[in-house]
Amino acid sequence: MALLQISEPGKSTMPHEHRLAVGIDLGTTNSLIASVVSGEVSILEQGNEEHLLPSVVHYSSSNPIVGSEAKNLQIEDPKNTISSVKRLIGKNLSDIDTKFYSLDLKDDDGVIGIQTDQGIKNPIEVSSDILKKLKETAEESLGNELYGAVITVPAYFDDAQRQATKDSAKLAGINVLRLINEPTAAAVAYGLDQNKEGNFVIFDLGGGTFDVSILNLSKGIFEVQATHGDANLGGDDYDQVVFEWLCKSNKINVADSKIKQKLFALSREIKEALTNKDSIKINEAIDEKINIQCELSQQEFEKITKELTKKTISSTLHALRDAELSVSQIQGVVMVGGSTRMPCIQNAVKEFFKQPLLNNLNPDEVVALGAAQQANILAGNTNDNLLLLDVIPLSLGIETMGEIVERIIPRNSTLPVSLGQEFTTYKDGQTAMIIHVVQGERDLVKDCRSLAKFTLKGIPPLVAGAAKILVTFQVDADGLLSVSAKEQSTGIQSKIEVKPSYGLSDEKIKKMLEDSFNLANEDKESRALSEVKIEGSQLLEMIKNAINEDSDLLKEKELNLLQETLGKLKKSLESSDRNHIEELTKQLNENSQSFAAKRMDRSIHKALTGKSINSLEL
Amino acid sequence: MQFNIDLNRLQKSYRIIQAEIHPDKFVSASQIEKNQSLIKSTEVNDAYQTLKNPIKRARYLIKINLNSEENNSTLPPSFLMQQMEWEEHLESILEQKSELEKFRLLIDGEYKKNLSSLERVCDKDKNWDGALGILNEIQFIDKLNDKIIQQINLIETK
Repeated sequence: MALLQISEPGKSTMPHEHRLAVGIDLGTTNSLIASVVSGEVSILEQGNEEHLLPSVVHYSSSNPIVGSEAKNLQIEDPKNTISSVKRLIGKNLSDIDTKFYSLDLKDDDGVIGIQTDQGIKNPIEVSSDILKKLKETAEESLGNELYGAVITVPAYFDDAQRQATKDSAKLAGINVLRLINEPTAAAVAYGLDQNKEGNFVIFDLGGGTFDVSILNLSKGIFEVQATHGDANLGGDDYDQVVFEWLCKSNKINVADSKIKQKLFALSREIKEALTNKDSIKINEAIDEKINIQCELSQQEFEKITKELTKKTISSTLHALRDAELSVSQIQGVVMVGGSTRMPCIQNAVKEFFKQPLLNNLNPDEVVALGAAQQANILAGNTNDNLLLLDVIPLSLGIETMGEIVERIIPRNSTLPVSLGQEFTTYKDGQTAMIIHVVQGERDLVKDCRSLAKFTLKGIPPLVAGAAKILVTFQVDADGLLSVSAKEQSTGIQSKIEVKPSYGLSDEKIKKMLEDSFNLANEDKESRALSEVKIEGSQLLEMIKNAINEDSDLLKEKELNLLQETLGKLKKSLESSDRNHIEELTKQLNENSQSFAAKRMDRSIHKALTGKSINSLEL
Repeated sequence: MQFNIDLNRLQKSYRIIQAEIHPDKFVSASQIEKNQSLIKSTEVNDAYQTLKNPIKRARYLIKINLNSEENNSTLPPSFLMQQMEWEEHLESILEQKSELEKFRLLIDGEYKKNLSSLERVCDKDKNWDGALGILNEIQFIDKLNDKIIQQINLIETK
């Protein structure tokens, strides 16, 4: 006999099901996917027992090739083989240094376009192809449909880079549970693994990005105190220095992109070989004419890359100062990212913190492992009590007169955060204004990163200075910004999603999505109807439960109104009238806003009084 | 409410509340709950920052006690003189890291001195106009401190 399942009040009425949730480390050089399976977190294999999927995509036939196979085609066919796409995402052509690429890069309607035999690809599409491959791996090896993913981004990624990463996940058909910062994910892996308490530094040097975060860990709460970094500093830069050294010491002038690729690959091999050797002799024929013969010692390598290492240490110092902590107040230093294997980095960090480093977890895997643990928690698969309180890495500001930046949200503010700022008109009868949002720490607009310009229309025509426009900047838990504006005297509200000036528009994303699904029209309609029905019935259940628990928070009139809308929605759900269901869902949403707010207050109150008995012991 | 508060207890309460309402707790919830969680969690962060930072806390206390946001008090001439002196000194040592570090310690001492007067004026004397005067001075000192740190950071990243 089947047992009748009765859910706890307030919890979902659905029987408990394990949702397939994964953590994805979308890296510059390699990507990884991990999941918690029967209580154990592990990296999912990419076939051939490989843990790492090279972040390389090859476009020469209609189906993109992703991973090792693509990487093997890099030297042979550099124009169609895209690697390190993470360095391009969320940027435009003028932001990047084309010397790193043997690709045909062009401007494609504000975003970077890469010319391949399969047409122009933008970085969002390329990332999305990597994500699709990872998703397939997960679904194949775990034999279930993916519920959602936590995707990691460098802590120092700005709004445009975060938005582009989220867009590429959307394009790959992945439900993003949360974007989390790579160092924070690493801290989760270490913290959960070893039950650590105190102030920890996460030093994360990857293939193309550098982050340093300082966290306070206490009983399952991970509070980021400060973060700093460089979104364009990583192992690739060390390769570049070795490449330049090779060219200089062998007097080579490289023009050919195949030779450039070969020399890059050789430079990387040399760097990696120096991880456990004091010196390395190179004797290699690149082609008929070029033969490389030289020797590089650890000492010399340390010397030629000194400036790069110095940058990481000064970032670290910067973060410590922002966190108002000194070296002696740090309980542990965690090393993350493949590039922290370099002895010169290990030594520099050890010397700076005057303590041994924590590197017992594989530095390549720790970010994905932490992300998977967080994904498992967010999907509701476990009762582990864990809370990540992360920060915004770079200050947000707006342009004012004279191209000066007025700071709105300071860096290292805990997320979510919002701030309102009042603006006024400077001309009589002015009905529109442009607000330019920038991100960065410098005082001049030209030295910061331009995120978006948006126009505020519909201001009532008044004398100069009379209109009062309140603009609210909200940064959510993913670190993504949205902006809304309200004219105070008339209450006109306009909600504007801030799209990066050079990102993809919503329409373009939608079109790319539709193209990728290639659905027939009736499929689209039935898909849309079922989505609307799911949303409507979820809301219905939620409100019903809420009324059962907290109906005393409602006045009789409010309760009646809710009950009435509930009844209507319930009835409409039996029909196939999509617009009607949508309309009633929207109505119920609006009618229950204040009820939801009151319930949230009650739960805060309960939590505080409940805990005060134990004198606020966490 | 007092100026001098138990920061430990503040942090604990903050964490208890966030553990209850943070958007991470509502990832699979309905849209209204998500919205409410975002709004409340943002408010709680704002409240925590206001109470945690002594300057923001003082500003808030003065605002609710004076019942106004107006700030008409002017800095005394002696402080204005001091201000100019400090600014000039900073200009003269912009490129000297060790001098900047030394100057920072001095300014930090001034900051702490003002902070204890602020505590006395707020909690003992309940002299809100007096508190406003000290607040104006300490805000200047805090900004100067930021400038010094920014300059040190700039030298280090060069």
